[in-house]
Amino acid sequence: MNARSLGWPVAFAGAGLALWELIVLLLGVKPVVMPPPTLIGRVLWTRAPLILEHLWPTLYEIVLGFLLSVAGGVLVAVLITYSAIARKGVYPLIVVSQIIPKVAVAPLLVVWFGLGGPSRLLLAFLIAFFPMVINTATGLTAVDDDLVRMARAYMGNRWQIFAKIRLPAALPLVFGGMKISITLAVIGVVVAEFVAAQRGIGYLIVMANGLLDTPLMMAAIAALSVMGLALYGAIALIERAVIYWQPASEPARGGFA
Amino acid sequence: MANPHGVAVTFVGKTYGGGVEAIREVSFHVAPREFVTLLGPSGCGKSTLLMMIAGLLSPSRGEVAVDGTRVDGPRPDVGIVFQSPTLLPWRTVLGNVLIPIEMLRRPRREWEGRARELLAMAKLADFEGKLPHELSGGMKQRVAICRALIHDPDLLLMDEPFSALDALTRDQMGQEVLRIWEQFRKTVVFVTHSIREAVFLSDRVLVMSARPATIAFETVVDLPRPRTIEMQESGEFNRYVGILRHAIEAHA
Repeated sequence: MNARSLGWPVAFAGAGLALWELIVLLLGVKPVVMPPPTLIGRVLWTRAPLILEHLWPTLYEIVLGFLLSVAGGVLVAVLITYSAIARKGVYPLIVVSQIIPKVAVAPLLVVWFGLGGPSRLLLAFLIAFFPMVINTATGLTAVDDDLVRMARAYMGNRWQIFAKIRLPAALPLVFGGMKISITLAVIGVVVAEFVAAQRGIGYLIVMANGLLDTPLMMAAIAALSVMGLALYGAIALIERAVIYWQPASEPARGGFA
Repeated sequence: MANPHGVAVTFVGKTYGGGVEAIREVSFHVAPREFVTLLGPSGCGKSTLLMMIAGLLSPSRGEVAVDGTRVDGPRPDVGIVFQSPTLLPWRTVLGNVLIPIEMLRRPRREWEGRARELLAMAKLADFEGKLPHELSGGMKQRVAICRALIHDPDLLLMDEPFSALDALTRDQMGQEVLRIWEQFRKTVVFVTHSIREAVFLSDRVLVMSARPATIAFETVVDLPRPRTIEMQESGEFNRYVGILRHAIEAHA
């Protein structure tokens, strides 16, 4: 997205915030029900140390959970691509397991892995893992058969065909999966923090809720959203650098978006 | 008879699973440095035959031998140009030309010079750092030809390499191929459904019948080399075109 295409959404968001502010002021809505954007902005500023203190552990766990899901997802995708047994036996199970709402498993994870980081990481991993597997497996198998045949004609072995043909060809879809996974990892960690945590932005939201401090709650949500956006943007930037061969005019990718 | 050099196709047949007989029985020999074209209608199995020579498909019956040894898989002394350029979009032109070198685990540095020479010969000297999507269709196919020649194969296989190009580019590419071939004098097996292309390029043309394929007709093209575009207007050239057209129509 370039600066020009950014203009319209920013204008609309600004108009929306202004309308929100106006309605809250005119109707005299109490901040505990619905604080105006300016108040949320002020709270973000004045209570920044508190919000940041809770934001860092959340960020750390999101990134770690995301990286785990990327590593695990790519690994399983490779396994599915190269092993007929895994493809026939494991793949359908992974797909069907998506029916289980991961969020509902969160309390169970706490029972098994305690209140610490591992259960939060595991939830983030479980949620973010699926699109990585699907996208990477699709990317690895959807490679142009002609390219593979060409590599075979020049005596490329299985490893060379994987490393030099399939993997790079799958990268656009891998990044498509990463963009979905990072947003899901955010959900995973925050939900796990709702259930059990002594710190983290999810914990802060629940705590503020308990104190009926709605402005703080919304400031925390705003901070979380900005962080999610930044993470997504970071991946999009890396994607653009890594997949340099795609002409810029091509539409965004993502097999399982 | 058994020339240890060149290509020997002996009683080759191909039946696909499900009983579809693509090739009934084909035998022919291509001498070293000879340019032979397999000409036939679409879907007649000529590409299948070429893939069997390349070792990418195995024949159901009979045997293919290259340079005196039986083909049972891809070989390091064969170069191949496919219908589509099959360039890796993330690699530069130079990187694409060097693919066979990497696959054969030869030292890339030692072959870069040859890659540049080939690119210069294909008039692509200024494009070695470009990515495939920055090239035209004809240029991409020229890169693919350089790639097919990089490891200095004895045999060059070409599977309708110009069929995706427009008519003008096609004519130019034919000339390019001949120019390169005159220089290297590889054994070439060329597949096409264009009669004019077959006459223009070849020493000898084999006409394949419709499925299940056999070799229906064969002619030596006794036109002088180097061949020129102007030759295509000569009576002699068009006599060959006429003969081949009749042969195809009689066996389609």
